[in-house]
Amino acid sequence: MLAALAARGDDHAFDLLMERYQARVFRLASRLTNDTDAGDIVQEVFLRVYRRMGSFRGDARFSTWLYSVTANACRMWRRAHARRPTAPLDDFLPQFDSTGTHAHSPAHFERTMHVEERLDRQRLAEAAQQALARLPELYRQAFVLRDLEELPTEEVAEILGVQAATIRQRVHRARLLLRGFLNAIPEKSR
Amino acid sequence: MNQMTCKSGVKLLMEYLEGTLPEDVRTAVEAHVAACPRCVAFIASYRETPRLMRDLTEAAIPADLADSLRTHLRAHRQQTPKQS
Repeated sequence: MLAALAARGDDHAFDLLMERYQARVFRLASRLTNDTDAGDIVQEVFLRVYRRMGSFRGDARFSTWLYSVTANACRMWRRAHARRPTAPLDDFLPQFDSTGTHAHSPAHFERTMHVEERLDRQRLAEAAQQALARLPELYRQAFVLRDLEELPTEEVAEILGVQAATIRQRVHRARLLLRGFLNAIPEKSR
Repeated sequence: MNQMTCKSGVKLLMEYLEGTLPEDVRTAVEAHVAACPRCVAFIASYRETPRLMRDLTEAAIPADLADSLRTHLRAHRQQTPKQS
């Protein structure tokens, strides 16, 4: 309803939409760029959406369209602010023996469940942000939208313009890498 | 289908959890996991990963975000008034 009004040029309706979604767009931009000051990206996103609002036809949900614009803006931001390549997380993939059996014991896997006891909160949060940044872009987008923003797989597929099966593959790969990363965080020094 | 192993089960894990596997494959995964403590522990850690990452990457929303957005948009509207 609000989106339809805003599409017809109602600025007050657009302001209400912006108010409703600004926190979600900020959080998404922060997770997709690692920029704790993602405010500039959020400004750019809402400006783009405002300019194109007249072309919004309501075929997709407004939030799906908004997330799509945000994901694109973050991709452009990352290209413009490309830093040195980060080390991939491939070493953290699960290991198997020659029979296809997990190479590690149950106790080893349970370490992931207790990671919050091994490192203080701030250092753990920094490590998690760094791990997100080390994911390949395609895995990161899918993981952030599906698992961190908790959107349905089908909606993530629509936002990123790929098949749901592709999203499942990317999210799965990201989960495997991040699971291994969290598992490998060492004990805090005493 | 071939004998299910930890490795082949891990490949199917996301689809298993999303409920998109064919019935016979889902049954084979469940039969393997029921007899494999390593897979039980691995799956628990796999399922925990999104929650941990969600909690650890929750950004604090700046108190001035709403004001800065309104100001930015107002400036744009003033520069580009609508055509009647």
